[in-house]
Amino acid sequence: MTSQIGVALLACQMAFGQAAPARRAAPPAAMRTVKDLKFGPLPELKLPEVTTFTLANGMKVYLLENHELPLVRGSARIRAGNVHDPANKTGLSDIFGEVLRTGGTQSKTGDQLNEMLEGIAAVIESDVGETSATIGFNTLTEHTGKVLDTFKEILTEPAFSQDKIDILKNQYRGVIARRNDQPSPIASREFERLMYGPTTPWGRQMEYETLENITRGDLFAYHKRFYFPANILLSVQGDFETAAMRAQIEKLFADWTVKEAPAPPLPPVLQKAVPGAFLASKTDVNQTFFRLGHLGGRLDDKDYAALEVMNDILGGAGFTSRLMKKVRSDMGLAYGVSSGWNAQFDHTGTFVISGSTKSESTVDTIRAVLGEVERIRSTEVTDEELRVAKDSTINSFVFNFDSPSKTLGRLVTYDYFGYPKDFLFQYQKALAAVTKADVLRVAKQYLRPEEFTLVAVGNPAEFKTPLESLNLPVKKIDLTIPEPKRAQPAASAETLARGKQLLEKLQQAVGGAGKLAAVRDYSHNADVKLLSVPGGMKATQVTRILPPQVRFEQKLPFGAILVYSDGKGGGWLKGPQGAGPLPPQVVRQANDELFRMHPALWLSDQNPDRKVNAVGPNTVEITDAGGNWIKLEFDPKTGLVAKSNFRGPDNSESEAAYGDWKEVDGIKLPHQWTIQIGGKPAAEITVTEYKINTSLTVEELSKQP
Amino acid sequence: MHWTWIGRLAPAILSAVLAAQDLKEFEKKITEFSLPNGLHFIVLRRPLAPVVSMVTYVNVGSANDTSGKTGLAHMLEHMAFKGTDSLGTSNWLEEKKTLASIEQIYDKLEAERNKGPRGSKEAAAKLEADLKAAIEKANGFVVKEAYSTLIQENGGVGMNAGTSVDSTTYFYSLPSNRLELWFLLTSKVFRQPVMREFYKERDVVREERRMRIESSAQGKMQETLQMSAFLAHPQRTLIGFSSDIEGLRAKDSEAFFRQHYVPSNMVMVLAGDVDPVKARALAATYFSSLPTGPTPPRVTTEEPKQEGERRITIETPSQPLIFFGYKRPAASHPDDAALNVLANALSSGRTGTLYKELVEQKKISLAALASPNFASQKYPGLFMFLAAPSPGKTIDENEKAILEIVERVKKEKYGEEVLSRVKNQVRAGLVRGLESNFGMAIQLASNYMLYGDWRRMFTAIQEIEKVTAEDVRRVAETHFVEAQKSAVFTKAPAAKKEESK
Repeated sequence: MTSQIGVALLACQMAFGQAAPARRAAPPAAMRTVKDLKFGPLPELKLPEVTTFTLANGMKVYLLENHELPLVRGSARIRAGNVHDPANKTGLSDIFGEVLRTGGTQSKTGDQLNEMLEGIAAVIESDVGETSATIGFNTLTEHTGKVLDTFKEILTEPAFSQDKIDILKNQYRGVIARRNDQPSPIASREFERLMYGPTTPWGRQMEYETLENITRGDLFAYHKRFYFPANILLSVQGDFETAAMRAQIEKLFADWTVKEAPAPPLPPVLQKAVPGAFLASKTDVNQTFFRLGHLGGRLDDKDYAALEVMNDILGGAGFTSRLMKKVRSDMGLAYGVSSGWNAQFDHTGTFVISGSTKSESTVDTIRAVLGEVERIRSTEVTDEELRVAKDSTINSFVFNFDSPSKTLGRLVTYDYFGYPKDFLFQYQKALAAVTKADVLRVAKQYLRPEEFTLVAVGNPAEFKTPLESLNLPVKKIDLTIPEPKRAQPAASAETLARGKQLLEKLQQAVGGAGKLAAVRDYSHNADVKLLSVPGGMKATQVTRILPPQVRFEQKLPFGAILVYSDGKGGGWLKGPQGAGPLPPQVVRQANDELFRMHPALWLSDQNPDRKVNAVGPNTVEITDAGGNWIKLEFDPKTGLVAKSNFRGPDNSESEAAYGDWKEVDGIKLPHQWTIQIGGKPAAEITVTEYKINTSLTVEELSKQP
Repeated sequence: MHWTWIGRLAPAILSAVLAAQDLKEFEKKITEFSLPNGLHFIVLRRPLAPVVSMVTYVNVGSANDTSGKTGLAHMLEHMAFKGTDSLGTSNWLEEKKTLASIEQIYDKLEAERNKGPRGSKEAAAKLEADLKAAIEKANGFVVKEAYSTLIQENGGVGMNAGTSVDSTTYFYSLPSNRLELWFLLTSKVFRQPVMREFYKERDVVREERRMRIESSAQGKMQETLQMSAFLAHPQRTLIGFSSDIEGLRAKDSEAFFRQHYVPSNMVMVLAGDVDPVKARALAATYFSSLPTGPTPPRVTTEEPKQEGERRITIETPSQPLIFFGYKRPAASHPDDAALNVLANALSSGRTGTLYKELVEQKKISLAALASPNFASQKYPGLFMFLAAPSPGKTIDENEKAILEIVERVKKEKYGEEVLSRVKNQVRAGLVRGLESNFGMAIQLASNYMLYGDWRRMFTAIQEIEKVTAEDVRRVAETHFVEAQKSAVFTKAPAAKKEESK
């Protein structure tokens, strides 16, 4: 943002550094106003001197001596980034970045490193971002040698111990499970995904499945591919003598000579605009968190300075911006609302307006925001606004140099991204030249409200006016987290053949494949004893299936529940508390029911969408592309199913043990089974009647009582 | 593995000496003085770059809110950047009249509402309409954000303010040649704040509460923990209860200001490229006329003794979390240093006991942390623990695992290498903190106000150096008492019957 970048101090001195005129008699302090103040010039800025050189192995080094405090710190910047992660291993860079540090080295375990570093209050941390990676250290001067040695060890010979990988994967499973808990991060995340495309390297996110795919071997391969001397810029600053530090670094890295091809180019950002409103429903919040915008630009765009000025006036400069004045000060509708022209060094950034307001005022707030966008696109800003925006940047320019580390960091960053060393000064020159006409021109050219994507996370039931009243197509965002795919035992031609044999044996035992294939619809009535309730609770249930439709009725002491699923996500549910559309978890349960329907399940070897794999002498696992699975264990004597394991409610593993097999219309079916969920007895089911091919109709199944 | 010995070989004395040296060096850079009206200044000269950070620290926080007016200290904090009688207005005389009329109408409205069922709805509705009109009229005189604009265009950065249970702070940084601007504006605001846009700002604060507390499971848990641990002491809520916020008045805010913002109850710190002689002269010029007032009353309510564990649940669809804390004395208590060492040993970095056992060994937590003083240092508060269970792991398992550690640290002493590590970390933390003007300014101010001397920043380290393993065990045994524990857990909302097929 602009507080980081500004106009030359020189300009600032010219504007404000005139010798104060002979002072009038100053009014008493209480009467004085700002106009009475005269500011002297700032002392001349001394830019710290950075020593740069390249080691024989190709690593570029930057040194900056600074003896203010007894501290030394450094950072290696590595040309890597999560945009290079394979799609099916999204998250690889996150795992790599952390385990590089925690997973130990060839000579020390991660725990030993932790004890050593924390014992001397030193820090080494590693991180991989979108398009660059870093590993840095920070230590008291007295421990510089030891910390540098350790830093090099971690950088060059990491061990990626499996236990630390496992711990971190478990942590990330938790991160995935928790990603819908806080509304503001949901809004940011979904906006970014829409901006860059949810399947592109710039927009995709880690899922349980991609996390599972990451192996220790991947981490070693990652390290080999990206962590080599010529791919690294190393900067060190603090309490040392430059010559001595140079000698130390040359010696330290003399034996690290590995070479690799340069890092691959970045994938392009190709996403098209996705105009419209996208609503993520979250009923436990009373504010709507919104993001509004489209793709933006890069720092080397010719209009970048004018865009920053425009954005500062619109919403980028805090309290003084138009958005804050309008939505916060004028209307009292938000604690914060801001805009960002988030230009990036090496790829297209975003333009985004963010804020939150109470549910009721969602549409009013977004309207007010859109009004401000329209205003800056249609009328020139005032002289005063332009002056304030420019002066703020010019006068705060000195903060770009208030610590030597900022100067060093900037130098390395510009080098890394291939920007000129004086980029900041070029920017300041461009900024000083920006006119009101420029601001209007870039607002018109670069802000395209007709292409705006609106992401709103909130409770639509409490909106005073619905989002539709903004005249935008409203689409729902499904926040459902894709289930972790179960680790499946490896399948080979042999195990698949044996799986088919076992299933064919079952088909014969129950009456033949032909009988099973002839089943068009299927129903059963059962008595149920729920064992999870203390003392047990009795219920009756009726299940009727006409694939892919399922109707299910359960009568409990306190009332009846009736569910109809059309097999495509639609349907309804009617319970003691009223009727409504099917909640997602019930849709899933209905689909599970369909997947497990006996006759079709037992013919899975004839279904091209399913895989039947022998995983034991008398056990097969049946899976489909949708992540459904069931394991059937056969009685070796009868060939009938003795037991099954499957995904139960809440993903806990469930088990059913079958008995009382009797023939119904030429097919042997179990009339009694018990279910355990998560190892605990859950229900006993006794079938009172099976009905096969009774000409069920969709109308019958879908009819509401 | 010679390096694992370092912690044991570096005797604590070495660090103690260094801390003392640090203090001696540091003292040379500090100038402090009080004006005759009692306003205290601390100036840290650090001429590394021509910038300066300014912190105004007022010894008043949400604990000073009175019943029915919770949120007032925070609300007043929001008013500080609204301008002065000459900045932010197009016509102060008229604006002032209108602001007064708002209060008169509001008084009448309150009087009508106070009648309860015997009041007149029509009269109240009429007054409400008058009130709205008067507020709109006053807004007509406002020059929006004039104060923040002035600071920004002069190159000011990081302008903000914060309220805690203990204190209210106001801060920003300027190029050093513009320091006088801070003197001018701050002296005006603290001589005569204006309650400009008070009722719009009240809506903003209400939105802030929605954002921080009502739309956040963690926010709800934090506030609930405070409320369940403290039934009497006014640290139950920081931002204030919704209905209290919605009823706050400009005149309350002004009275609160008059009572608490007296010179002897504030300290101002300047850190950076500042000439202490000039600073002193400017301080005298601008702040001498701040009127003195009686020293504000201290909070006298003490929390009654807790007679048993308190366990509260919060229903939320969010993933599970547990927060719990034990009552502990204020930071001025002699046990403070040992409690800090204990919190570090339990919770710092990747070697802390909680991380090693719950995250790494048992793999039952995503995060498990301890904090020595939540949410106050000035008053008795809580030694807090929090944990986020791993997928498939429960709150119960997490609580049990933490309690096992709690029982262990009450019985067994930590090893010397752990103590040495913690002490090294604390000392290094102090050195690292010296790199930031703003960070230093805050530290100097809070140490001065909480302990009467900024040197406490350094002497606290000497206190930490003296802590023994037995001290750590003893304070755990003394303060980790079940009857003094309050715990807040999340719980999934009772599943709707339709959904529990």
